[in-house]
Amino acid sequence: MLRMEIALILIVAFIAYMYFSAQKQNTALHGTFSVLLMVVLLNLCLDGITVYTVNHLDTVPRLLNDILHRLFLGSMVFVIYLFYHYIALLVQEEVGRPSRAELPARIFLALALLCNFLLPIEYIITDEGNYSLGQYVAVPYVAVMFYLVLCAVLMLVNWKRITDKKKIAIGIALLIECVVSVLQGLNHAWLISGMGLTLMTLSFYLTLENPEALRAELTEQKLSMLYLKSQVNPHFLYNTLDTIRIRAQLNGDREVSDLLMRLVDFFRLSIKVDRAMVTLDDEMELLEAYLELMCMRYPDLHVDYDIDPELGGAPVPNFILQPIVENSLLHGLKNKGYKGEVTITAKSVGETRMEILVSDSGSGFEEGKKAEIDALLSGYAKQPPKLTGNSIGMLNVQKRIKLLCGSEYGLSYTENETGGVTAHVLLPLKNS
Amino acid sequence: MKNLRVLLVDDEIMIREGFKRLFDWEAHGCEVVGEAADGMEALAKIDSLVPDIAIMDINIPIMNGLKVIKTARMKHPEMAFVIVSGYDDFSYCREALRLQITDYILKPVNYEEFGTCIDNLKISMFRNKITDEPTETRTIISITKYLQDHLAEDVSLTVLAEEFHLNPQYISQLFKSEIGVNFLAYLTNIRMEEAKRLLLGTSLPIADISERAGYGDYRVFTKVFKKSEGVTPSQYRRDFLES
Repeated sequence: MLRMEIALILIVAFIAYMYFSAQKQNTALHGTFSVLLMVVLLNLCLDGITVYTVNHLDTVPRLLNDILHRLFLGSMVFVIYLFYHYIALLVQEEVGRPSRAELPARIFLALALLCNFLLPIEYIITDEGNYSLGQYVAVPYVAVMFYLVLCAVLMLVNWKRITDKKKIAIGIALLIECVVSVLQGLNHAWLISGMGLTLMTLSFYLTLENPEALRAELTEQKLSMLYLKSQVNPHFLYNTLDTIRIRAQLNGDREVSDLLMRLVDFFRLSIKVDRAMVTLDDEMELLEAYLELMCMRYPDLHVDYDIDPELGGAPVPNFILQPIVENSLLHGLKNKGYKGEVTITAKSVGETRMEILVSDSGSGFEEGKKAEIDALLSGYAKQPPKLTGNSIGMLNVQKRIKLLCGSEYGLSYTENETGGVTAHVLLPLKNS
Repeated sequence: MKNLRVLLVDDEIMIREGFKRLFDWEAHGCEVVGEAADGMEALAKIDSLVPDIAIMDINIPIMNGLKVIKTARMKHPEMAFVIVSGYDDFSYCREALRLQITDYILKPVNYEEFGTCIDNLKISMFRNKITDEPTETRTIISITKYLQDHLAEDVSLTVLAEEFHLNPQYISQLFKSEIGVNFLAYLTNIRMEEAKRLLLGTSLPIADISERAGYGDYRVFTKVFKKSEGVTPSQYRRDFLES
């Protein structure tokens, strides 16, 4: 029989290794599972040791045998309690308040452990192997029954509030332990308690505590942190910037106050618009706020707009123009010391399409760069997701246009005869 | 035209200071007669000072600005309220509109924009006055009638001077003293009113509307419209059609 115990120890040890080497959040739930793993391991070791000692009653002192058996069953009761505690925490996560059964569960645990160490113990010798018996053996059975019923009640009472995934995890664990306990109760010599605990641990590990689930949880938490960060009350930001602006203007610093004013405009617009498609007017408003800031920083930079007023309501993918203009500035005009012009034109092409042009008087494409960008933009679907630098912005714009408007639309570049480049954004024209 | 009396309500002293010292009240025919930092103080000052205009922040202690307006309206139906708020939530705007406020200005306040708002308020007060007393035949009324009929043309003080056989300087002063705004602000105001009427009442292309409102270049028109209404002409039309 010892071979089964060794196999089980190896399984649980492997789970424990996988579990402790994975990155995870520091929560009460994961903490409980960690303790659970360690205690299950201890229990399995004691299981193996007692299987040996109980079959060598003549060589192992009676007292040592007693202590080991009581420790073994004591740890088992503790494991069952931990299972209950783990399930209670799972339910608590969903329901939002701790279970009222927690105190009785702890009192029961204390009583059970007390009984386990005080009630009489005896050993039965059979051909299939020896095992311990006596009143103390009743303790784990009662404990299993008590905690299983408690878990079942907990699950049923909060049935609607627990997610399906957790229901399945808890259900499987309870079923396994139930079956194993009944079998063990019917045939004392089988000594399969360790198998029950291992399977229960395994079921939780596979459903809720595996590295995939832990990683997903971590990512989710990171994302929600980012979300929170971006949610720092925007009014706080506006109001503070506004106070600074007024202070600057009161001190006679008109330039700083103008810059701050534009900055607040830009912030407000970029926070406000969170849809995939916006009107051309909205898109232009954001772009103008951005360009006003850039023009203030670089006085030799000039921007000219020619937007067909009838196109103002046309839907366009959100935030496509700013990255394109940023490219014009960083790769065309920067080389000329930000001296020059950017012209933004929007016009309809036939009845069903429109074109937005971003033309700059910058340094133009370097040797071979044009072909590279053409290849990048036409092969947009094949590009690996992680690119460095500015091409990611361009590619992102291209992908969003293709995705939101259709593959016949998109971004392309041409070289101007007078120097500089022009970005062409072809979009469908659906007048709302 | 006597100065309009203004009450400033904002819980931040810097914002009130900015309003007081950075906006040229004198040039717009106004004077700040009082300040309040919370809703209760605002109500008390409204009752004791009876200002013509109250500039209100929404998010102020004790009682919010919208509630103050609602309460003050009952006692002073004539009082003009301008909301100055950092919130551009739709729900706030809707409630503000229901309270029939004069304007809703977003923080950070552009003092130039704020000046337009005050001018518009004065022009609408002037209009109410002349519709209340239709028998009046003062020069300014003939001039404004002429402007209304010729706003698509290239009207200027010189054109008016020739038409009415008056000194351009004198006409300019007339606008200041009778309406309380300068000629250009008045002209822009009626042009925008005409543009808005055409945008909502007709389906004319915006370039045509721009021309009919006296702007040969639609780009200039779009810019002026945006500055005055906060949205572009096409957006203005769309917003109306959607609601």
